[in-house]
Amino acid sequence: SLASPSSPQGSELHGWRPQVDCVRANELCAAESNCSSRYRTLRQCLAGRDRNTMLANKECQAALEVLQESPLYDCRCKRGMKKELQCLQIYWSIHLGLTEGEEFYEASPYEPVTSRLSDIFRLASIFSGTGADPVVSAKSNHCLDAAKACNLNDNCKKLRSSYISICNREISPTERCNRRKCHKALRQFFDRVPSEYTYRMLFCSCQDQACAERRRQTILPSCSYEDKEKPNCLDLRSLCRTDHLCRSRLADFHANCRASYRTITSCPADNYQACLGSYAGMIGFDMTPNYVDSNPTGIVVSPWCNCRGSGNMEEECEKFLKDFTENPCLRNAIQAFGNGTDVNMSP
Amino acid sequence: EAPLGLYFSRDAYWERLYVDQPAGTPLLYVHALRDAPGEVPSFRLGQHLYGVYRTRLHENDWIRINETTGLLYLNQSLDHSSWEQLSIRNGGFPLLTIFLQVFLGSTAQREGECHWPGCTRVYFSFINDTFPNCSSFKAQDLCIPETAVSFRVRENRPPGTFYHFHMLPVQFLCPNISVKYSLLEGDSLPFRCDPDCLEVSTRWALDRELREKYVLEALCIVAGPGANKETVTLSFPVTVYDEDDSAPTFSGGVGTASAVVEFKRKEGTVVATLQVFDADVVPASGELVRRYTNTLLSGDSWAQQTFRVEHSPIETLVQVNNNSVRATMHNYKLILNRSLSISESRVLQLEVLVNDSDFQGPGAGGILVLHFNVSVLPVTLNLPRAYSFPVNKRARRYAQIGKICVENCQEFSGVSIQYKLQPSSTNCTALGVVTSPEDTSGTLFVNDTEALRRPECTKLQYTVVATDRQTRRQTQASLVVTVEGTSIAEEVGCPKSCAVNKRRPECEECGGLGSPTGRCEWRQGDGKGITRNFSTCSPSTRTCPDGHCDAVESRDANICPQDCLRADIVGGHERGERQGIKAGYGICNCFPDEKKCFCEPEDSQGPLCDALCRTII
Repeated sequence: SLASPSSPQGSELHGWRPQVDCVRANELCAAESNCSSRYRTLRQCLAGRDRNTMLANKECQAALEVLQESPLYDCRCKRGMKKELQCLQIYWSIHLGLTEGEEFYEASPYEPVTSRLSDIFRLASIFSGTGADPVVSAKSNHCLDAAKACNLNDNCKKLRSSYISICNREISPTERCNRRKCHKALRQFFDRVPSEYTYRMLFCSCQDQACAERRRQTILPSCSYEDKEKPNCLDLRSLCRTDHLCRSRLADFHANCRASYRTITSCPADNYQACLGSYAGMIGFDMTPNYVDSNPTGIVVSPWCNCRGSGNMEEECEKFLKDFTENPCLRNAIQAFGNGTDVNMSP
Repeated sequence: EAPLGLYFSRDAYWERLYVDQPAGTPLLYVHALRDAPGEVPSFRLGQHLYGVYRTRLHENDWIRINETTGLLYLNQSLDHSSWEQLSIRNGGFPLLTIFLQVFLGSTAQREGECHWPGCTRVYFSFINDTFPNCSSFKAQDLCIPETAVSFRVRENRPPGTFYHFHMLPVQFLCPNISVKYSLLEGDSLPFRCDPDCLEVSTRWALDRELREKYVLEALCIVAGPGANKETVTLSFPVTVYDEDDSAPTFSGGVGTASAVVEFKRKEGTVVATLQVFDADVVPASGELVRRYTNTLLSGDSWAQQTFRVEHSPIETLVQVNNNSVRATMHNYKLILNRSLSISESRVLQLEVLVNDSDFQGPGAGGILVLHFNVSVLPVTLNLPRAYSFPVNKRARRYAQIGKICVENCQEFSGVSIQYKLQPSSTNCTALGVVTSPEDTSGTLFVNDTEALRRPECTKLQYTVVATDRQTRRQTQASLVVTVEGTSIAEEVGCPKSCAVNKRRPECEECGGLGSPTGRCEWRQGDGKGITRNFSTCSPSTRTCPDGHCDAVESRDANICPQDCLRADIVGGHERGERQGIKAGYGICNCFPDEKKCFCEPEDSQGPLCDALCRTII
């Protein structure tokens, strides 16, 4: 059954204004003396140890007000763009000033995704001769087909073997692998390989356990996902939010995968592609999600955390975790991809 | 957050708003519960209306609150143009939901900081239409809010009213529809409705340690202007919030642990563990280590330097009256903070003060003292009186002859022993010894094959000396090695290393570095794909390959490359942790000089499979 949507702060994403990216906005701001001096002031306000006191300062407030009228206020970033980290740093330098205290959901610094799943299906059938139709027969192992398709493409094969060999390399009996390097290699794979390949491997549909186990193993979870201890999800979220990239990817996931009770698919703007993209965008960070078991049909994904030790924040923790484990939008999107169906948007 | 004050029973409220709803329409009630008797709430609205992701949209000109009852109502009708005005400011997002902040008390809280318990958010979903015709409502819409409702009640606080059932706009605009509620559960639960069942209250103070979740069920009966009645059941959870009202106790009543430090003397060794139980779940994980402190009480600087305490809390469930209630178990481990020398000897009592600093109870109830009785015993080094081993005259260099070990050496950790051989005659110094760091034992090996083959060296006599590196303490034993067998000339054309040989016959005909008999040994694998038990040729199947590059093997890459080589492996294989082949396909042979190993099936025909192809197919 579909879980009830958890918050009403609806954010169906469409109808954005055309935006400049933050690197460009920063250049525009730098060319103007008033903007650039206010921006410098704000950065100093945010860098202070006690951020909140600093922000209460009159000069900081004034800087923030001026910057809200500048191109920096509306700027966004593109996933996998050149200087992505720099772009996100600029984005958060303004937006951390605007949101005092922690919000459960944060606005995504990324531009909205306009492509649809059907585009991928079309491309996939061009790229691979056989097995292009994701619903060939119930018997075939789609995850194996996806691996084969990747190996037939030089770029996919190269980046895949790169992350596999890095994530598989045992350092010592107590250290399974170099997790940091493994995460980096996974990020490169998902950033640089077209989603026709990466989604097929990550979201392939399965009829039996062997296939589902392969699907679970896609990101080499013993290195990239599992850890000695499971942290509390809210502690993990705090950790993720200290990192600009992780924070942005999480915000993007929330923006694109949050269950909505106003759409047929439960996804914001019925856009499966956007949800799957922002899910894949979290792989290779502290909040890396994965399939929790090799159940072929009952799909449950989660980051490596649980709600033990939440104290009085248990409700909030469960709410956070359920956006992964019991999210009808995400589940519908994964299933729709596996079945090769998309919502028909044209009337 | 202040321990006392009023708090909202929810952190978020929801209601629908329609276009042109008349001024005066009541919207909903917010409720505040008391932390102390006699507190009176005073509600205050935040100045602004917010949109998606806390975008500030506009000053709130439309909604007002009754500061004593908590009733929110429309002060001014919202027309289409007002909505459009708000939409424009919503950062490009379609306007669906807006919210207002409601604060408690007159304290000037900053507008930006709205957090439960002192502030709650009231969300309004905007329906871009006028209020529907009364007859169009289904019973479901009249009884149950669109979004699930849940409540927060603090334990040990005065009871109070926390919910108003009725959906006020419908009541106001459709007075002819009668909606009545009643609570379903029996008298056992601490909740009640007033006679008309408009509002729900707690009957007495709740205790989280007895039960932390209730699911309230109510019946809603709708009777329209027509005769037919409809009933709908609704349920909503009430969560009891914890405060630190339980003192820590010893788990199972045990507050003392005794431990002996003898052979394990390494930094990081866990000496003893004690558990402390606390029925509270606050402070939570993020705060816990800061609020739940432990101090090693001991004036002795030796003890302070030598031991440390590690605290690891874990949430557990306990059964109380058939309810599962969360609680916390704290594990305190006494750990060696430095490696201790073997001469160190002490008996001491260590006390660790545990302080649950948030504990609200009387006196020093939050404080516990853990007792550790620790005996640090000295280790005396002893070797057996005499060792005797045979050695084959044909043995090659680095052939392993036997092991020597001070008493209990395999249990040692953090103790470093060095073994040395003192020959009794200078002519027959054929052997060497190395210490294995893993088990602190010494391995005897052939170091000089020429000396071994001298006719006068049939009996090699040595004194073995074991020295502790740190204290320089020593012990010794005699060692007699008898040389057996006859020597034969080495075969011509054989490689230096056994591992080079790929087939059984050539393996068993040749000798190689490290072979105790002068001949290599063949290990026949099980042939089950990529396996740890692969076929290979080695100096002695007892030591090579065993997945471990030991102290002797590591002296020369030719002895056992299967365990020791850091090299390319061609063919189906699984790499060892640091070096060597963990598992291989078919026969594995190695060329140490070229730093290459090959693993392939006996009659290799198909193409070789590398790590990648194995993971794919």
